[in-house]
Amino acid sequence: MTDAVNRIWDVVIIGAGMGGGMAGRALAEQGFSVLFVEKGRAGYRTERQDLNLEMFVPEARRARGYWPDPVVARIDGRVSEFYAPLGSGIGGSSVFYAATLERPERHDLEDTSGRPHPTNGWPIGFDDMRPWYDEAEKLLHVCGTHDPLSSEPDPNMLTPPPPGEGDAVFAAEFEKAGLHPYRLHSAIKYKEGCLDCLGRKCPRRCKMDGRSAGVEPAIETGNAMVLTDCEVEAIRGADGQVSHIEAIRDGAPITIRARAYVLAAGALASPHLLLSSTCDAWPNGFANSNDQVGRNLMFHLNEMIAIWPPKSARFDGASKTISIRDLYHANGQRFGTIQAMGIDLRYGEILHYLRGMLQRSALPNWRILRELARVPAWVALRMLGEAKVFVGLMEDLPYPENRVRIEPKNPRQLVFDYHFNDELKQRRKSFRRHMKKALKGMRSMFLGIQPELNFGHPCGTLRFGCDPATSVCDPDCRAHEARNLFIADASFMPTSMGVNPSLTIAANALRVAHIIAADLKEPARD
Amino acid sequence: MTDIGAMLKGGVAVVTGASGGLGRALALELCGKGMTVAGMARSGDGLAETAAMAGPDFHPIRADLSYAEAVIAAFKEIRAIGPVTVLVNNAAVYPRRDFLDETGSSFMATIDTNLSGTVHATRAALEDMVTQGFGRILNVATFADLTPLPASSAYSVSKGAARIFTRAVIADLADRFPDIVIGDWMPGMLRTGMGIPDGLDPAQSAKWGAELALWHDPSLTGAVFEMDREILPPRSLKARIRDKLLMRRQVVRRLGQG
Repeated sequence: MTDAVNRIWDVVIIGAGMGGGMAGRALAEQGFSVLFVEKGRAGYRTERQDLNLEMFVPEARRARGYWPDPVVARIDGRVSEFYAPLGSGIGGSSVFYAATLERPERHDLEDTSGRPHPTNGWPIGFDDMRPWYDEAEKLLHVCGTHDPLSSEPDPNMLTPPPPGEGDAVFAAEFEKAGLHPYRLHSAIKYKEGCLDCLGRKCPRRCKMDGRSAGVEPAIETGNAMVLTDCEVEAIRGADGQVSHIEAIRDGAPITIRARAYVLAAGALASPHLLLSSTCDAWPNGFANSNDQVGRNLMFHLNEMIAIWPPKSARFDGASKTISIRDLYHANGQRFGTIQAMGIDLRYGEILHYLRGMLQRSALPNWRILRELARVPAWVALRMLGEAKVFVGLMEDLPYPENRVRIEPKNPRQLVFDYHFNDELKQRRKSFRRHMKKALKGMRSMFLGIQPELNFGHPCGTLRFGCDPATSVCDPDCRAHEARNLFIADASFMPTSMGVNPSLTIAANALRVAHIIAADLKEPARD
Repeated sequence: MTDIGAMLKGGVAVVTGASGGLGRALALELCGKGMTVAGMARSGDGLAETAAMAGPDFHPIRADLSYAEAVIAAFKEIRAIGPVTVLVNNAAVYPRRDFLDETGSSFMATIDTNLSGTVHATRAALEDMVTQGFGRILNVATFADLTPLPASSAYSVSKGAARIFTRAVIADLADRFPDIVIGDWMPGMLRTGMGIPDGLDPAQSAKWGAELALWHDPSLTGAVFEMDREILPPRSLKARIRDKLLMRRQVVRRLGQG
């Protein structure tokens, strides 16, 4: 442990998730000394648990790599407290993910003709990002088939295993409906005896995520170290740079120093940390003179829909390999990808979903209502037993009033405000109409009425940009006000795109690592 | 799907209380099935006798299971033979004493021997099992806790606590390690020093115990078997009616089916 504090690291990375893990790997492989500072626990390599949003004992949550405390959400004025699908540990949330690593499209990053960009484009273009997507796909071992609607090259895509019989029949059905299904892009090696760890930890290095493709290879170089059970309390500095970070380990405060600092604690925890790190120079939070830290919080909307496959289709397990981009952008509107969720609706999931809806509804929080939710859950299970669950991931747009903030009465909690903008609600209605129309000829049913935010996909809260007045970091993801502080998690995104964020997090993390490496020039030798 | 049952055979089965009675019978039965067995007990003489009867696949390990350090040292010795894949928590003492003939200390000494032995051995075996990601733990139990016999208070409390221990460990481990299968087994009333004169032959009971100890199936976690069959948890009236209406029959698993 004295190893970690009595030296100046080349790079200290706060948060060992997808972004932190990939950035750390790239830097360690180039010979730089890298320290991951991770709030969560190391866990055991052979674990196989799912995320559990019902478990409420914080020590038990920590032991399993879950974010230990509930988040507090004020959504359209109503406050609710719940466990978000966030991880805390080596690999962060990504160890639980379904490994769906999809690229965005050109119009997600750029202003293109006929598809104006909501923030006039990201500060770097699609062609600048492309080599990083290529590199990320290679390191994360992504397999899949090419999207028939895309003309962009994808050189590192690996061949997936052949589809199950059910999915093959199902895909043919989508084609008959005039759609263009392709095999979803997954970061899974499908080793012999693959346990299909979608939504849970993989005990072998078969599912590629922030742990197996990031932190573990980083440690294998001999240049990286992880401090677990180590929560960063504050980032300190002055005169345009970070001087050190203050953390707690085994109940005792420690100070850690580096030549470059990478903040990758996630789009909720990263801004929370900056907002908590106040000082005379930055009374509103570290590097936050422009009050942009935490703002422009975006999620995706989950339009969950049950689709019945043809009766002849035989499945062993959930449908998990079909993705469709026909509605990615339609009739001038930004929608998103439609993909198989890879879960079958089980009683527990339906019940949890209904209880979540109850909690966020206007009904009083009576125990009896929570119990009565079992009845519709049971009915739903009977009806939906054969259906496969798909999700339309709709793009969310940035609004400054949607934000992470600190609640003074309880400053350690992750708190955010979110308001469903009218524009979003209209676009969502339109997306649902488009989905129904596109699936005409197949039996389908939406699984929700109210808009559902995907709390596993927060982004945007420390966005990059050229204008220091409206962004937190520059096009290099370097904080405008602190030249040795970099952002490498989903916070950097100015728009949320219509796809899962993880591949973009990984690609950007590799890009930022490259920039840091150039900054540091020579690796430090102790 | 990898056959974990076969993988169990590649490691060591630890049987506690292997110096006589049921423990000896289990060790002999497991050796007969080709398992390498490490038998733990306090009595060197008893272990030597078991070793003579069992042959070279049996390794006697003397240790007082109520001491954590002794158990840790013993498991280190066992690890040199091979990784622990199976643990049968069988060691127990059953002093028959009217509660008024016990002191608080003598009572707790029995608890210590029985409960601590199970706790320390389980904790030590889990070092290997968590690293491997699989294992089998069988806790020899009794229904003594439900309606304790007279002059059996300390024994009943320790066995009841051990059953709760099984459930508590499952609450901590089952979701993370579904291939570490943990369950309880009631051997029946045996014709041993601890049992009754017209009880079951421990060799017969041990056949069931050994089969169950080598049966690796994640759905067995939390299962309770008595002799050769599964004892399902009691259902509420509501649950029984629901199952009747849905025509759901409960399946009782059995041993010795070949």
